Amino acid sequence: MKKVIAADPGLRAARYPRGAMRGPVMKIEDIAVRYGDCWSIRSATITLEPGVIHAILGENGAGKSTLLKAAAGFAPRVAGTVKIEDGAAAIGMVHQHFMLVSAFSALENLVLGNEPTGSFGRLDLTKARREAEALMEKTGLRVNLDARTSDLAVGERQRLEILRVLYRGARAILLDEPTAVLSPLEAEELYTTLGALAEGGATIAVVTHRMDEVIRFAGHVTIMRRGRTVLSRPIAADERNHPKRLEDELTRAIMGGEPPHEASPPALAEDAEVALSIEDLVLVDAAGKRVLDGLRFAVKKGEIVGIAGIEGNGQRELVRAVAGLEPGVAGAIVLGGARLPAVRSTGDLRKRRRAVAVVHEDRHADGLMLDASVGDNLVLGELDQIDGPAAEAALIKHRIDRFGVNPPDPARRAGDLSGGNQQKVVVARALDRIEASPERALVVLGQPTRGVDVGAAATIHGAVVAAAEKGLAVLLVSADLGELKRLSHRILVIHRGRIVAELPPTAADDVIGRAMLGMEDA
Amino acid sequence: MNDKRARALLPIVLAIAGGILLFNLIAFAFGQAPASALRLAFEGTWGTPYGLGQVLFKATPLLFTGLAFEVALRAGLFNIGAEGQLGLASLVGALVASNLPASLPMPIALPIVLVTAAAVGALVAFIPAILRARRGVHEIITAIMVNRIVDAILPWTFSTVLGSSSLRTADIAPGAALPRLDRVIPSFAGSAASFAFPLAVATVFAAMALLGRSRPGREIRWVGLRPEACRAEGIDVERRMLLAMLLSGAIAALAVSSTALGYKGYYELGLGAGAGWSGIAVAMLGRGKAIGIVLAAIFLGTLEQAGLAVNARVPREAMNVLEATLIVLVAVASRVASQGARAAASADPEPEPPRDKPAPTPASEEARS
Amino acid sequence: MSSIFSLTMLAESVRIAVPYACAAIGGVWAERAGVIQIGLEGILLTGAFTAVAVTHATHSPTLGLVAAIVAGVALSLGHGQLTERARVHAVISGIALNLLALAATRMGLRALYDSASNSPGIDAFRFGPTGATGGAMLLRVLADPVFFCALAAVAATPFVLRNTRFGLRVRAAGENPVAAASVGISVTRVRLAALAVSGAICALGGAHLAYDQQRFESGMSAGRGFIALAAVVVSGWRAGRAALACLAFGVLEALQIVLQDEVRKTAIGDLIQTLPYVATLLVLALAPRRAGAPEGLGKHAAE
Repeated sequence: MKKVIAADPGLRAARYPRGAMRGPVMKIEDIAVRYGDCWSIRSATITLEPGVIHAILGENGAGKSTLLKAAAGFAPRVAGTVKIEDGAAAIGMVHQHFMLVSAFSALENLVLGNEPTGSFGRLDLTKARREAEALMEKTGLRVNLDARTSDLAVGERQRLEILRVLYRGARAILLDEPTAVLSPLEAEELYTTLGALAEGGATIAVVTHRMDEVIRFAGHVTIMRRGRTVLSRPIAADERNHPKRLEDELTRAIMGGEPPHEASPPALAEDAEVALSIEDLVLVDAAGKRVLDGLRFAVKKGEIVGIAGIEGNGQRELVRAVAGLEPGVAGAIVLGGARLPAVRSTGDLRKRRRAVAVVHEDRHADGLMLDASVGDNLVLGELDQIDGPAAEAALIKHRIDRFGVNPPDPARRAGDLSGGNQQKVVVARALDRIEASPERALVVLGQPTRGVDVGAAATIHGAVVAAAEKGLAVLLVSADLGELKRLSHRILVIHRGRIVAELPPTAADDVIGRAMLGMEDA
Repeated sequence: MNDKRARALLPIVLAIAGGILLFNLIAFAFGQAPASALRLAFEGTWGTPYGLGQVLFKATPLLFTGLAFEVALRAGLFNIGAEGQLGLASLVGALVASNLPASLPMPIALPIVLVTAAAVGALVAFIPAILRARRGVHEIITAIMVNRIVDAILPWTFSTVLGSSSLRTADIAPGAALPRLDRVIPSFAGSAASFAFPLAVATVFAAMALLGRSRPGREIRWVGLRPEACRAEGIDVERRMLLAMLLSGAIAALAVSSTALGYKGYYELGLGAGAGWSGIAVAMLGRGKAIGIVLAAIFLGTLEQAGLAVNARVPREAMNVLEATLIVLVAVASRVASQGARAAASADPEPEPPRDKPAPTPASEEARS
Repeated sequence: MSSIFSLTMLAESVRIAVPYACAAIGGVWAERAGVIQIGLEGILLTGAFTAVAVTHATHSPTLGLVAAIVAGVALSLGHGQLTERARVHAVISGIALNLLALAATRMGLRALYDSASNSPGIDAFRFGPTGATGGAMLLRVLADPVFFCALAAVAATPFVLRNTRFGLRVRAAGENPVAAASVGISVTRVRLAALAVSGAICALGGAHLAYDQQRFESGMSAGRGFIALAAVVVSGWRAGRAALACLAFGVLEALQIVLQDEVRKTAIGDLIQTLPYVATLLVLALAPRRAGAPEGLGKHAAE
């Protein structure tokens, strides 16, 4: 267990009379990290210095998050060295999945692990509040300290995480994809704050996959590709004047020699008939919040419609509602002209599954049985339609071959596959089944390539396009704007459970971004 | 493949070795020279045909209760209510058997009794099952409550309903009785091993094969592995859980074949008690395989019989201590082995960041490993 | 009917409720820290046996009480080692703990007293007035040092959980062990500490049970650990409410004892003994679904 420096501001001031926040220099040299069978980092070298925002950029699965974790000491390093000026104590990490106890108040989360105490180990929350308020004053990061953490908005939770890191006296802050859950405006605020902290002398590193953020805010950029650092250099201020040139250089480094995976939507007939029509969908969650609030849109046969939005604006519920897993949903889901009946039993659900294929966004929770074999996973829920063991084996083999599941071994435990191959299994089950169904109409995909390597993503994109070519309507929910722009015929933007904008796939990122915020002029 | 099998066996070997060591320690604590107690235990079990017969007799109910625990475990459920399920089923089964006409032939009488007992066992299991499936109440608490209630119902039935003071039923009809094994293997003479043993072994193999190959069996296992994924794909999770639990209760109830039907010829209070608990150990040692369950039941049957053999010198309760310890030992040993196996699995060259949150291992798998 | 609303009845209810409440508070400590603990029954039983064995040997109920607590802590920590370090499934470990306690106490009875069913009588704590009036009974119940310890545990638990550093960390370990570990808390150590508290309080209940009967009987915990667990679930894992639920059980069981003689003559007869178990089933069936369970119950900080 690491010992944490006391967060007493007076103490810190005494140790650092001027430039109180000067962060440590962190030298990471030729490290390699392995999780189980998978090399997450093969070789990475990077030096993080205080004073600027370091951006770490790369494709999904390139090893950027792991690099941060290795720097903070959370990752199982098998080779290389991590040298940190004055010890690891001064490092704080903000994880992509927030490390907050949702049942706690914000203040309790803030002090957790570093609690000020009175006699007999009693919590001194008054003192904690005083310190927290001083910290909020200084940094401009505001959080309602008395709110239950689960009630805080995503942006607020992130500010709480950063405050906690500062509260613990960290002078180096590592953030893993901090803007993935933020609106562009919030992201800008975040970078302003981080910039101010860096100017104050802190060491700041940010993992991101958004090029525009790097060009606008970073003073140093590192590119990772396939577990290696392929580029690491400072960005001079005048380079920002030629963003295109910088962008080209970084893009080349990210992609390497590989051709970019170019899937494009199939041609859409002008007179294609409407396959899916969503009418005034409303869903109220347990807390009484309208997570879907009068949603309406239509998808034509053979059309791929992308859904963009900041996470937590109803995407997950939309997928579940169309999948038939939200019994409380009001409004109509019309498929091929006929209104879908409410799902009351699993029999109804099976019926819907013959017309609607679903890939859930959290494959570990809703999609995959990690401890069952690949073969079992490929036919989950389908046994009643398969005629005997021979037919089952043939079907499994067909799906493994079609999607290139690697290794192609039906008996292998699904949990032992890489993330990309696990996702192939989930997508193979959904798409291959629906394409064979006589009642096929719609495919709904939630974050189909999240956390998936480039090769698997290309396979999955190809299969999605193939499904659309076969006349299926496709609803694609994704946080990856690039994916949406490449695959969709149209992009719908969801905000607070409503569709607030319909944009062409050629729309600029910032236009989509403003719409995601619910801004009127979008 | 060989390596895999070795890994599966290692926990059992380690656990049994640990068990023997512990037995010696206990024997030593009771002032016995360890080797002599061990020799006594062996002579009373595998040392003579009679002892062997007794081992099989003791193992028979454990085959049923072990299988019962395994069936529920496949669905991620812990059926620790086998005691109550078997208890009430034994009573009702014996009552039915004693009221059948004496002339009824075995092919008719025996199935009637077994089906009745199984139905009662399933009915008793229904209470924790339905509360779990519909209300999300943990089956362990409810199963214990039901066990306690059955514990009170049994003597009450004898004293208040039947008005008998002997706390036993009348003798069962001859057609419902299972003959002793010494009819075909004369050297078992005197031991209580009956045809319930082959019946139990056959049940274990048949049930395990069905669980592995049939659609309901496979779906039960899937539901135990990840109910959310099954629900999303249109599998009726609640119904599969209910089915597993009811099957479990019914199978546990079949143990009546070895006690009231194959041994005493009537049911008396306390007959077969304890088999439900030992069944848990059998399932844990059996590692989810039919042959494993059979061997584990025979092993624990040996322990029970050995307990009787050494009772004069070391209290036979020592064997129950051993049994509980074995559950822990085999769980720890197999956890270690499975971690080793995962580390040794072949490498996948594709690098992937561990971005996804680690999914919790489902109860049914974790319990086994 | 007047016997139902009397001091005797109150004294009986409180006396009966103590072991339940201790086990429930023990359950709250374990499960709020995120460790599934179905072994409360075994700890009650072990506590009872140890208290009697040591009191019988030393003629000091105080020493017996201390020994019971030590035994409870040891068993609870053993459960923690299995679930947190060896990562054995907590339900399996709990089942084994219960079976082990049942068998080991039986073996102990045979070894020490050569009896299959019960120990010889002991002289337990005896404070307060003698006499059979309701008031005297109530005073005797309240003046019992074990009762006092139990009361202190019930009262202190919510406060410690809410207002101390240890309590905060216990709750963090139970709600989100990954988050707790990420801020440098050793989840394993926090959980083991909470389990030690859990085992101590639960064993206290066992000692009370045995001192109340002035002897040990085989299997004398009689499902109390599981009923206590039901109280924990129904109370939403909150100590105060769980203790109140246990008191309600005490009332119910006292009522059963009062009514027993009359009911015995009816057709219900001995079935009246099932009242606590039937009541538990009913409460569990009708209570809202698993509200308030710690989110990290049974989860670990790292694979």
